[in-house]
Formats: sequence, C-alpha cells, structure tokens
Amino acid sequence: MRANRRSRLGCLVLVLSLVLLAPAPSPAAPQGTVTYAVHITIAPAWFDPGDNPGQITPFIIQYALHDAMIKPMPAGMMTPSLAESWTASKDGRVYEFVLRKGVIFHNGDPMTAEDVKFSFERYKGAGVKLLKEKVEAVTIVDPHRVRFHLKEAWPDFMGFYGSPATGAGWIVPKKYLEKVGDDGFKRAPVGAGPFKLASMTPGVEIVLEAHEKYWRKAPKVKQIVLKSVPEGSTRLAMLKRGEVQIAYKTDGPLGEEVRKDPKLDLVFSGGIGVFWLQFEELNDPKSPWHNRKVRLAANHAIDRKALSEAETLGASPPTGSIIPREFEWALPVDPVAYDPKKAKQLMVEAGYPNGFDAGFITPIPPYYSLAEAIGGYLGAIGIKTKVRKMERAVMFDKRRKKELGGICLCGNGGFGNAVTRIDADMWSGGVHSVLKDAEIDKLFDEQGREADPKKREVLLKRIQQRVVDQTYFAPIFQLQWPNGVSKAMKVSGMGLIPTFYYTGPFEEIELR
Amino acid sequence: MTRFVLKRCLYALGSLFILSVTIFLLIRLTGDPATLLAAPEAKEADLQAIRVQLGLDRSWAVQYVHFVGGALRGDFGTSLYYRVPAGTLYWQRLPASLQLAAVAMAISLLVGLSVGILAAVHVGRWWDSVGKLIALLGLSMPSFWLGLLLIYVFAVSLHWLPTSGRGTAAHLVMPAIALSGYFTAAHMRLTRSSMLDVLGSEYVKLARLKGVPETWVLVKHAFKNALIPVVTLAGINLVLMINVAVVVETVFAWPGIGRLLYEGIEFRDFPVVQTVVLLGGVMVIAANLTVDILYAWIDPRIRVER
Repeated sequence: MRANRRSRLGCLVLVLSLVLLAPAPSPAAPQGTVTYAVHITIAPAWFDPGDNPGQITPFIIQYALHDAMIKPMPAGMMTPSLAESWTASKDGRVYEFVLRKGVIFHNGDPMTAEDVKFSFERYKGAGVKLLKEKVEAVTIVDPHRVRFHLKEAWPDFMGFYGSPATGAGWIVPKKYLEKVGDDGFKRAPVGAGPFKLASMTPGVEIVLEAHEKYWRKAPKVKQIVLKSVPEGSTRLAMLKRGEVQIAYKTDGPLGEEVRKDPKLDLVFSGGIGVFWLQFEELNDPKSPWHNRKVRLAANHAIDRKALSEAETLGASPPTGSIIPREFEWALPVDPVAYDPKKAKQLMVEAGYPNGFDAGFITPIPPYYSLAEAIGGYLGAIGIKTKVRKMERAVMFDKRRKKELGGICLCGNGGFGNAVTRIDADMWSGGVHSVLKDAEIDKLFDEQGREADPKKREVLLKRIQQRVVDQTYFAPIFQLQWPNGVSKAMKVSGMGLIPTFYYTGPFEEIELR
Repeated sequence: MTRFVLKRCLYALGSLFILSVTIFLLIRLTGDPATLLAAPEAKEADLQAIRVQLGLDRSWAVQYVHFVGGALRGDFGTSLYYRVPAGTLYWQRLPASLQLAAVAMAISLLVGLSVGILAAVHVGRWWDSVGKLIALLGLSMPSFWLGLLLIYVFAVSLHWLPTSGRGTAAHLVMPAIALSGYFTAAHMRLTRSSMLDVLGSEYVKLARLKGVPETWVLVKHAFKNALIPVVTLAGINLVLMINVAVVVETVFAWPGIGRLLYEGIEFRDFPVVQTVVLLGGVMVIAANLTVDILYAWIDPRIRVER
C-alpha cells in the first residue's frame, strides 16, 4: 500500500517536473490570409517613405512595411515606436532620441542610429526644404541614441518629424539601400514593419508576409493580399462572395448593402479629413460674405447631421472647427446648431431679406452630391448657388492660386497638428487661406517663436477661437468612411488609430 | 505598287506625328500633375521640387523633343505615379489586354456571324427578330452596366464565376462577354446586311439555277463573299478591343492597358497616357496600313485611284 502510494507520488512529481521544465509555449504562429479590395492603385513609389508626398494614401502600405520613430497608434497621435523616448533641450535646439533595442529589419539587419541618420539625410519627400533648412546636423551619440541639432529653436520640429506629415521619421535600412539603390529599393523594399513584401504586380495586387520578428509583436495573420479594385460595386461583390475579407470605402448605397448582409460588418474609419465651406470673397467689402451675420446664417442653415447620414451613413461627426479635435492643440468646437428660422432672421438683419446670388459652389472632387445638398440648404434661406464641377488637378490649381471665387467646399486631410492646419488655412500666408486677419497673423507669428508648449497652446487656441468668433468658415464634418468587413475577421484593424482611414496597426488584425 | 506603299507609309508617319503632338498637348492642358502628386497643402517649394524631379519644369518644346526622342529609342519615360518606366508598365499589361480582346473577339464573331447569317437567311422571320434584339441590346447597353449585371448574377447570386481579377479561364468569361457585347451587335448587323447583299447577287442566283444545294450556296458562294467586309471590320475592332476596354477592365479589375490608361488619366501620369495612346495609335495605323496595302495588292484599281 505504502509502495503504491510512493509510486503514485513519484508519478505526480515526474509529471509536475515535466510540466515545469517544459519550454514555455511560444506565441501562436501567424496563420491565414486576409485579402483586401483596395479602392486605389497602390504605387511602388509608396514603398519608399523617403519619397512621401505628404498625403495619407501611402500609409495604406507603409504601416505594414515600415516603422517610424514616432507615429499615430491607438494609444495616441504621437506614440513612440522605433524611438523609445525623446527629449528636447531647454533652448529647443537639440532633440535627442533613444532608440528601441532589438528592432530587426526584414532582411535580418538590426536597426541602429546609423539608419535613423541615413533615413533623414536621404529624405526628399514633402516638407524636405523646411526640414533641411531647420536641421543643422544629425549626430550619432551611440548605436541607440541620436541627436538632431537645429539651427534655431523650432517648436514644430516634432510636428514634422514625429508625425506622418512627412516621411522623414520613417526608418529604412542604410546598408541594404546603399547596396540596391533607390530603384532597387522600390522593387524590393525592406523595412522594419510587421509585414514584408512577398510579391507585387503593379496596379493589380501586392502580397505581404508576416515579419515574425517584428519588435512590437508577431502578426497574427500570415499573409495579406491587397488587390486594387477601383470600382466600388466590384469591391462589394468580392466581399459578398467571400473573395476578400475587407473592402475599403463602401460608401453610399454600397454601405447600405453591407449593413443589410448578416455575414458582413460595416466599420467606419478616418476623420482626419475635415470639410468646410470657405467664403472665397469674404475680404471684399462689396461681397455679402463680408458680413459676419451672413456667414453665421449660412452656418445655421446647414443640417450637418442629415448630411452625414446621407453621405456617410451617419459616420462623420459634425464639427464646429476645421481642425480635427484629435489633433494636438486643437480647440474642440461644437457645430453651429441647425436653425433655419434663425438663419433667415440673420439674413434679414444683414440686409438680405430676399437672399442673394452667391455664384458657384466648387467642391473638392468627387464630393459633388455633398455640395448639391449644401446648395439646397443655402437655397432654403435665399442664398442661391450653382455647383461647379471641376477636374481635380484644375480645382487644386485654382484653389492654390485663390482663383475659385464664390464658395469652396474645401477640405484638408493632411497629418500634423493644429499648427499645420492653421498654417495652411487660417494664416494669411497659408497655401489655401483666404483670411486676412491681423490678429490671427500676429498670434501665429508669436506662437512660432514660443518655446514653452503651454504658452504656445494658449496662443494656438486663441487663433482658433478668433476664427470661431468671426465665423470665418462653415465647418461641416470630419469625414469618416464606411468599409465592408467580413464576419470572418475578428479584428479588422480599422478605426483603431484615431482619424486613420486604413487598417492599422497591421499586427493587430486577426481572423476568427 | 512600291510608290503606293511608300506614300501610305508617309501618311502613317504623318498621322503618328499629329497623334504624338495632340496627346502631348491635350494631356498637359488638363492640369499640373505636381498638384496631384503632392499633398493639397504642399508649399510651392515642394511642388517645384516635384516638377524639377520629374522634368516638368522644362519648356514644353524641350519636353516634347525628349518624349519623341525617347519613344524612338523605345524609352517612353518614367511613370510619374508608379516611378517605373512607362514602357515596362505597358508591356506588362499588354498580354492581359490581348488575351481579353482575343476571347471577346471570338465570342463576338461566333455569336455575331451565326445570328447574322440566320437573320439574313430567315429575313423578316423569328430569327431576324432575335438578331434585331441582340443588336439593340448590344449597341445600347453600356458595358459597365452589363459587367455589373453579370457580376451580380454569376458571381454574387449563383457563385459560378469569380468576381474579378485575372488568373484562371473562369476569370475571363464575364469581362470577355461584357467587352464583346457592342462588337457582337456590330458584327451581327454587318454580317446580316452583307449576306443579304450577296444573296441577292447574280452569281448566287446562277448557283441556285444551276441546282447547287442551298447549304452549299450559303456556305461556299454567299458566306465566303459576305465575310470580306466583316473580316475588315473585325480587324479594326480587335485593335479597338485591345486599346479601349477601359471601362470593362476597371469594372472587372482586369490588369490590362485600358486600366493603365484610366489610372494614367486619373493621376495625370503624362508618360503613361502618352505611351498607351501612342502605342494604341501605332496599332490602329498599322492595321489600317496593312488593310490598305492588302486591298491594293488584291485590287490593282485601288493603287491607280489613290
């Protein structure tokens, strides 16, 4: 009996020992394939962050292939990634970054400070002139520490380097790039992102494979296929038939179809793009738009919630500011209430009881139906408009030259912070700004010299408040897109990063 | 004959020159591609940097000479959007367009000729009405609508065929049918009218008087002669099918040159648009030149008349 008990005890000890000594279970290996129907054609030029045009579209692929020092993530718009941390000197002229250890590029090379310096110095995309003007030198302190020396204090340095406003902070492998050259890199890119390029047929599809040594965590999906399908109905058909698991941009009636299908989910993403009415002639004292009451009347005339319902199935939150509220230093402003009675009253007070002919309303292509609907609302209070459809390049050119006239249904979808939006659309020297407000210009000038972030924030918010008080714009909404997602997806990765339109982070996506 | 051929070749070269100038100027009138390649908020310095990088800062005359000089060497420039040689993109996409056009042409000839002959033989009767209906539908139904209808029925509802893309033979079926729709109707109408002309001719009447069986009359005497204008049209249509399947290739995400042209126009990709239009023009001009020379060889009167 005792021997029996002893042998049982021995077995138990043996089993326990085996369990305890056995290697810890490894995280589940990536498995399965997720196929996307993408609404645009993915260009190999986007494989190289060194050429980033400053648009959001290249990030549709760069979030998979590459990684940045700091980038928007679910945790925030400026989440440390390849840089563990950063500090700025008191005089605001030196920024020091501590690099994350153990980061491996797809080809097995470790990421070091050499790569960070090289990536910055070879960068030739958007904002390059400004960056190169402001940065005097990049020095390597040790393999995991790098310093950026500025010629003078530049409070916007992180806005440019630490956000996707430029691609200067996205890191490429120096050794590999020097070996294959720029063209070779576009054919066979190597990055530090969660997925690596397996194959590419330009204009047709791109196949990516999991980079299991990705520093953050190994991706849960083994393969990703991005198919370019420009026609929305075809994307929906592919999704319904199960050929793809995610179809980007299924808006309007396509979104309704997705909503009705029990095998599909409608997932919204984005918000970085804000739409607003810009009164191009508001500086002309003869123009009705010169009168603040008319501008306020136009604001009260628009039912933003109904527009969001009609255009984006209710996904786009109405806003009272032209700066996304998620942006650093943004002043959150509630939209002006829809009140046609008040709008008509304001028109009477402004001296336009019978309304007036406001000429053209020119939308950014292809948002013609949104412009038509807004024209209807303005018409209801007597402001007559005609929608003018312009070819994209022509419209952009005229907008830049400030030759549009009438009303512009404008938008801005660039990454950055409140400063970048104020710079482009509110400051009198801005690329698209039609405002000529001495107070705004003065405040903008002051904030550019202000090194104290708190004081700077106050100045930036005062600019935004001034814009609201003067009713310089009629903000509409922060545009969100409906996307079709198969129920086969456990995590689609869409809508995780605030304001981002595409899947991200890719390492989070998972099949059921 | 040599003089005639040389003259025709000279005309062809002249047409190509006019085409190259036209497409070069027209695409540039549509706007500055730098505004589409950069962020809308980009500063003028960024736009200028893009223009310099892409060679768009040079005068149009210099750009044109560069374009033609390169084209003569087979270098059509680098795509502004893809940043790879436009010629490489064209040759990568051409096989898909050739494949689609070949299958669509086979369908259009098979259906068009058969129904056209039956409509001519049974003129004013049931088959003729079927022919008229096919012609009406084929000529009036937009290819994108036919394409979407096919996708809805055969891919989404019946699950018989893949929705889009290129790979297996099954991928070809719907785009080929959608592309062939208009051309089937055109071939059918021409076959019918040509057959009716021939069936009313003296030699067909003579063959019938001689007691030749009706099937033999139709196949050997009527069809063979009625085929000449149809084959001429089919030749030109094949070139069109290769080059203008923009809508069908977009709806079915078919990776051909039609879709390349669509992308090129969308992004103001000058080198791509110039390449597709110029090489498409070369195809059309070469087809016409071949037909002209063949006609002159078959019928010497043409050489004298022209």
